[in-house]
Amino acid sequence: MERAPRLDRRTWLLLAVSAAFALRLSAASAPALRLPDLDNRLVDPFQTAADTRAIVFLFISVDCPISNRYAPEIRRLNEAFAPRGVVFRPVYPNPAESPEAIRGHLKDYRYPASALRDPRQQLARFAGATITPEAVVYDRQGRRLYLGRIDDRYVALGLERPAPTRHDLEEALDATLAGKPVPQPTAPAVGCFIADFAQ
Amino acid sequence: MTVRFSRFATASGVVLAASIVAAVPEASHAAGNRGSSPGVPVEAVTFSKDIAPILFARCAVCHNPAGSAPFSVLTYRSAKQRASLIASATKRRFMPPWKAEPESGDFIGQPRLTDGEIDLIQRWVEGGAAEGDPHDLPPRPRIAGGWELGTPDLIVSPSQAYTLAAGGSDVFRIFVIPLPTDRVRYVRGLEFHPGNPRVVHHANIRIDRTPASRTFDDEDPAPGYEGLMAHSAVYPDGHFLGWTPGQVAPLLPKGLAWRLDPGTDLVVELHMQPSGRPEPVQPAVGLFFGDDPPERTPLMLRLGRQNIDIPAGEKNYTITDSFVVPVDVEVQAVQPHAHYLARDVKGVATLPDGTTRTLISIKDWDFRWQHVYRYVTPFTLPKGTTLAMRYTFDNSAGNPRNPQRPPERVLWGQRSRDEMGDLWIQVLTRNNRDLETLTRGVRPKVLAEDVFGYEREIQRDPASVALHDDVAQVYLQLGRSAEAVAHFDASLRLNPQSAATHFNLGTALTVAGRFDEAIEQYGAALRLNPDYPRAHNNLGSVLLQRGHVQDATAHLTEAVRLEPANVEARSNLAVAYAAAGEYERAVELVQTALGLAPLEPLATLLRDHLELYKERRTKR
Repeated sequence: MERAPRLDRRTWLLLAVSAAFALRLSAASAPALRLPDLDNRLVDPFQTAADTRAIVFLFISVDCPISNRYAPEIRRLNEAFAPRGVVFRPVYPNPAESPEAIRGHLKDYRYPASALRDPRQQLARFAGATITPEAVVYDRQGRRLYLGRIDDRYVALGLERPAPTRHDLEEALDATLAGKPVPQPTAPAVGCFIADFAQ
Repeated sequence: MTVRFSRFATASGVVLAASIVAAVPEASHAAGNRGSSPGVPVEAVTFSKDIAPILFARCAVCHNPAGSAPFSVLTYRSAKQRASLIASATKRRFMPPWKAEPESGDFIGQPRLTDGEIDLIQRWVEGGAAEGDPHDLPPRPRIAGGWELGTPDLIVSPSQAYTLAAGGSDVFRIFVIPLPTDRVRYVRGLEFHPGNPRVVHHANIRIDRTPASRTFDDEDPAPGYEGLMAHSAVYPDGHFLGWTPGQVAPLLPKGLAWRLDPGTDLVVELHMQPSGRPEPVQPAVGLFFGDDPPERTPLMLRLGRQNIDIPAGEKNYTITDSFVVPVDVEVQAVQPHAHYLARDVKGVATLPDGTTRTLISIKDWDFRWQHVYRYVTPFTLPKGTTLAMRYTFDNSAGNPRNPQRPPERVLWGQRSRDEMGDLWIQVLTRNNRDLETLTRGVRPKVLAEDVFGYEREIQRDPASVALHDDVAQVYLQLGRSAEAVAHFDASLRLNPQSAATHFNLGTALTVAGRFDEAIEQYGAALRLNPDYPRAHNNLGSVLLQRGHVQDATAHLTEAVRLEPANVEARSNLAVAYAAAGEYERAVELVQTALGLAPLEPLATLLRDHLELYKERRTKR
């Protein structure tokens, strides 16, 4: 058993409990978070338009190659699901990444522009995200429906499929919009560790 | 009378992967041993004292601010930002990327970590990845900016950048770069700069002394081309070329350079991984020349099978191959090559006395790390030693690297969805006579495998001109001229308006002794392209053979006019002049031909002719 995946799974179990809390206490706990946007204004990450049906936080990083390789897939999902009421929000949990660097990154990789910074990893902790890239899906009620990898392309560091065989995030969003039980990822996300970014 | 033929005009063919290894400083620290001693408390592990020596020695060659890797390990600040990642990647032995098991001996530039070093890194991270006292830091490693081997004598690049798309699967693309030189040069070193290290994962490099690769590249409007490497794209004179991150082959010792002729192209196959945004890719290659021709030439022994046929779902498909060396050989380096499905890769030498030596063993083959493994201490294997390889492949759905889902039957082929299984072994012989013996022994075996691969490719793609051209050449090299004629004929039927195709068929017919038909084909080539020096040369040669000295002289004169550096044409024209009694002109032609540094055995022949012509004779 290796250290990093074990740590992930432990975190995961803890968060499954906190998610159950969020389900009951969503109105109280979620709005307490305020994250800086790229103009350093504090915003509520859960604040969205009235017709939003789900929010996807995408934890990403400017310098993480695995995270960056997902940009076209994230764009594809955004284009497919934004018209169906899903809001995609890139979240940058590395405090070393400046708003200027993030602006350049959003442009270079053509990410959705509504990015937030999470320099103290408050949202990462709240949502349970430990890796870039990792996705977290919330519904309108603030219930966390999905936490994990975008797809199964990366099996582990250094072990990669030529193409994904399972599109976990896409399946989760389809289920969310259909009002069906949301399938959970069967393996941890692979990429850079958010814990390493802590100052 | 001697008839010489120019090389063929078109071709395509077999690809194999290459790469290069360079010296990395040994880790100058005691940390590796300390890591396994239980007495050291976790708190004691710090970056400055314990971890930096490992990272500087093993990782910084790529992980520096200008390096090919994504982050730097030169400062605590940047290493700390990736501490868990470093722990995880080293524990899995994904990093440093060194796949050879230690049993195969010491290789140059080996960054493999010891178990103790890996353990120490884990404990550093578990203990909070502390910095420690910066005074404990070892000296920073010297990171070469620019060219590591010195100032290149020649730097070449593709004429324009290729744009790699933002997403999708890995891309394999071949770039053909002319090497402008007005005379024969001897190459002592080649250094590859990826240009865009974010996306260039490795480079297979060959040279092509024919226009075959250039033709392929020209047919694709974008920079480079996607497809098969030409059969004429080869490792030069038994030397590995290529690049994997962090590896630069040292300069060759004096006397071991490889020969670069004018008109040669560099053939660079890039393995690129999309980065998430469109990326320009324009590598650069620096060449380092020496003054002296090689005194010794190594030979590449290639073991491997081209009858690979792996059923869908097969978990444990094995290929084996072997060769008994007929002379003593000194083993310099090995390079295994396979694609995504290979799992276990092994090469073993069994000496005549029954003792064995592992040449290479890789238990978790990863297609993406195509190293050349150069032995720190080359070793001699006596005549009668069996070189053997055994590779296993996993074509089941349980192999995450399997490109087909669900798995499909996989055959031998150059494309990444096909499979290959080769082991290249670079050896030196005691002398040139042994080299000839060894070449004669191994060549038919290798060409027979090539025939297998080509015939299979042609079954899949019977309308490929390039495949017919290539296999025809292989048949010619095997002395099977009838099959060569048949395949060049097939090529001609597919491509009747090509002067080169008529020329090729003419050449095979000449070798088969069918001179009248050959003359017809050369004539057809010249009707399509009157300025075709090699067609003039070969036609002149055949006419000379048939005793038509005057017609022969006209065509050979035209060949020399169109291509003044063509040694064969000069040699043939000299023969024609001598046959007509014009010895002064014959002597002058042979002298200029000798000034063009011809290869053996042509050089010896020319020197013999020079003596004869000076004595106004054509034979002894």
